[in-house]
Amino acid sequence: MAFISSGYNPEKPMENRITDIGPRKYDEFYPPVIAKNKGKWLYHEYLQPGVLVHVAESGDELYTVRCGGARLMTTTHIREICEIADKHCGGYFRFTTRNNIEFLLDSKAKVKPLLDDLAGRKFKGGSFKFPVGGTGAGVSNIVHTQGWIHCHTPATDASGPVKAVMDELFADFQQHRMPAHVRVSLACCLNMCGAVHCSDIAILGYHRKPPMLDHEYLDKMCEIPLAIAACPTAAIKPAKVEVKGEKLNSVAVNNERCMYCGNCYTMCPSMPLADTEGDGIVIMAGGKVSNRISAPKFSKVVVAFIPNEAPRWPQTAKVIKGMIEAYAKDAQKYERLGDWAERIGWERFFEKCELDFTHHLIDDFRDPAYYTWRQTTQFKF
Amino acid sequence: MAKHKTPLLDQLESGPWPSFVSDLKQQAEKRAKNVEGIEFQIPVDVVDDLLGLLELSFKQGRTHWKHGGIVGVFGYGGGVIGRYCDQPQMFPGVAHFHTMRVAQPGGKFYTSEYLRQLCDIWDLRGSGITNMHGSTGDIIFLGTTTPQLEEIFFELTHNMNQDLGGSGSNLRTPADCIGQARCEYACYDTQDLCYDLTNEYQDELHRPAFPYKFKFKFDGCPNCCVASIARADMSFIGTWKDDIKIDQKAVQAYIGGELVPNGGAHSGRDWGKFDIQKEVIGLCPTGCMVMDGKTLKINNRECTRCMHCINVMPRALRIGNERGLSILAGAKAPILDGAQMGTLIVPFIEAEAPYTKIKETVIEPIWDWWMEEGKNRERLGELMKRQGLQKVIEVLGVDPDPRMVQEPRSNPYIFWKEDEVPGGFERDINEFRKHHLR
Amino acid sequence: MEYQEAKDKIVEELTKKLKTKSKFYFNDLAKIIETKPRDAKKIVNQMVTEGILEYWSSGSTSMYGLPGTGKQASAEGEE
Repeated sequence: MAFISSGYNPEKPMENRITDIGPRKYDEFYPPVIAKNKGKWLYHEYLQPGVLVHVAESGDELYTVRCGGARLMTTTHIREICEIADKHCGGYFRFTTRNNIEFLLDSKAKVKPLLDDLAGRKFKGGSFKFPVGGTGAGVSNIVHTQGWIHCHTPATDASGPVKAVMDELFADFQQHRMPAHVRVSLACCLNMCGAVHCSDIAILGYHRKPPMLDHEYLDKMCEIPLAIAACPTAAIKPAKVEVKGEKLNSVAVNNERCMYCGNCYTMCPSMPLADTEGDGIVIMAGGKVSNRISAPKFSKVVVAFIPNEAPRWPQTAKVIKGMIEAYAKDAQKYERLGDWAERIGWERFFEKCELDFTHHLIDDFRDPAYYTWRQTTQFKF
Repeated sequence: MAKHKTPLLDQLESGPWPSFVSDLKQQAEKRAKNVEGIEFQIPVDVVDDLLGLLELSFKQGRTHWKHGGIVGVFGYGGGVIGRYCDQPQMFPGVAHFHTMRVAQPGGKFYTSEYLRQLCDIWDLRGSGITNMHGSTGDIIFLGTTTPQLEEIFFELTHNMNQDLGGSGSNLRTPADCIGQARCEYACYDTQDLCYDLTNEYQDELHRPAFPYKFKFKFDGCPNCCVASIARADMSFIGTWKDDIKIDQKAVQAYIGGELVPNGGAHSGRDWGKFDIQKEVIGLCPTGCMVMDGKTLKINNRECTRCMHCINVMPRALRIGNERGLSILAGAKAPILDGAQMGTLIVPFIEAEAPYTKIKETVIEPIWDWWMEEGKNRERLGELMKRQGLQKVIEVLGVDPDPRMVQEPRSNPYIFWKEDEVPGGFERDINEFRKHHLR
Repeated sequence: MEYQEAKDKIVEELTKKLKTKSKFYFNDLAKIIETKPRDAKKIVNQMVTEGILEYWSSGSTSMYGLPGTGKQASAEGEE
């Protein structure tokens, strides 16, 4: 392949350089009906799961068709989205915070042809390319991180478990039968570059073994002070080790202090921590970000560990499906999963979700732990 | 014919949810055929090798990526994340596989024309694999080689008027909800404030000088669709001060069943006839609503704007007219000392362009304090925890307000400042001893 | 502090520490030149533009170093 220059001159990087221009301005991409009615919307309704109508003061109507998308997406797929948008809605569309694709139509007559078109588009393997849904009191798309596709510290994959879990929850992506909306999120390690700590259900990758130490190469490949400084719990200290009769500078890890975050591996490739048996999934539940009725709250750990079961993570999918079914059966209208758990009590939550309560679920991390223990005689038998 | 056998990944092609494996395979096939005759600037089989590598991870349950910290575009400290595969001989196509973050437009609105242009650049110079979008909000380009970084940046800036996003100890690419563009709940123009601050603070976004990452997120109302309250160091959440507007006729239409509650969000199940007492008034967290005959009354002074009644009856109830936003600070994910929600530091501020008051009386004083006092890798929320909310109030130069706390302290261990106590701390022991024998 | 003086100080200090580490946080640089962060940033930016300092990023955090130094530079194969 021949190198094609963009016009950039590596000898003079500052020549003609354009910087600090930021993103394109939002209103360049508004469809005309939005440009006209912005700030003057009256109300919205769900015509069916995945289809919304917004009505403006002017009487104009905007129809939105929402489709689930894998956030890992190729240009081939994006070009197909563009083609659909050109065909049905003047080339205008958007993405939601939860990786859904929204086609924006300016009349009701355009909705059905679009839905019919989308329903017929499938990948070669048989899955839908553009399943319509993800609205109202249902299960929306899972927001997630990179996992094994691109991250150096994941304890699980991201796209794989998400595909497996969404297959399991698919019917509820396309229905409105939940008591309130259910938000599922996945972060592939505890650093949570996707913040999952306030989700109705969170899937969290978790390592359970401290890093390995490649003593023979450590001092050659890493700067020891940086590896030591990277540790948030101060579990790493310098050490002299003997390898093949040679005294070498290296580090020692206090295993009891290690929280398996992988920050040392980021600074020092001689401290890998990925492990087939050690790595797996933590399930958390009951968080929310909305201020509706009750205050936003954090998700709580409800399953301490599930092994990585590639390619379809059956236990993870089963546990989540079980929780959602128990919630759907028992919660009151408008009640989020965490509000339901608090109303019935966590002791009842474990019973209804048929989950084991193990000692790992009792908080023992620093001061706030005490306040999570029961300090009243009010509990249920 | 696929380059690598992927029996495990193949099992993720079945089932109804869109399969990323099928998508990657169609991309691999398209590159191999190359009908358009594109002069690919990175290995043609990059997607095949990514599939092969991922299959290996699926087999072993371990990642095969290493981090690289040096690569970037000249003069920017963020926007590029270096990635190297730890099996480059087996998978040469992904030996170097860097990420680029491209700053997304507000509300994630697009035209096909714009995205096709992006795809053209990325097909020529990268893997053609993206995230739409990354967790922070950027368009993510997944996988290119070092020499292509500057070329891509040059084409983005010169041909598309498009910049990179943030990473590292920077202001991260700010993100907003759909706001007034399509939502009747939005109390301010989230996209305009987001765009304005993003441009105002380009230097903070590209050239790292903060102790750690810093995130702005903009939610138009307390429903918090972009989760700002849980994950932004500074979150801007729309609110209003005056009365919820009531259309009594529409209230009756909900009661009578002509209008469906919550916009039809509960259509998948028979929840019975709509009961305003049970579903709205009874669930109001402050008990500030009552039906007086056929009239719905709201004691607006007692309302905490939780949005529930408005969400349930959007055609009857509308947000007030005296609008602005609340600013909360310090949210973060659990690492290290536990997760933190944002703390209310500004109960109400106007949100009108050019937003001078927000910049000069809130953002900049907070940044100055954090840049001077923050330890390396200390998020704003951790500094707030270490130095206290009193310190934040001092930095902002505002009066303490009970709205900023959940409850007053339950310990009396107040660390008084010397000038707060009459006479100060220096006392005369000999004078004291005149009245108190040793 | 004048730019030239600040630049010399930073280069001198970073070179001295090269034996143990090659990457530094922004705050470390500000401390070397005893300058408030806002002003230190102007100096540091200028040094980056002149190619005297280069960035290193962990993805979540950024650091600064003298170009080509450090044990990872060769490992990453980026000259």
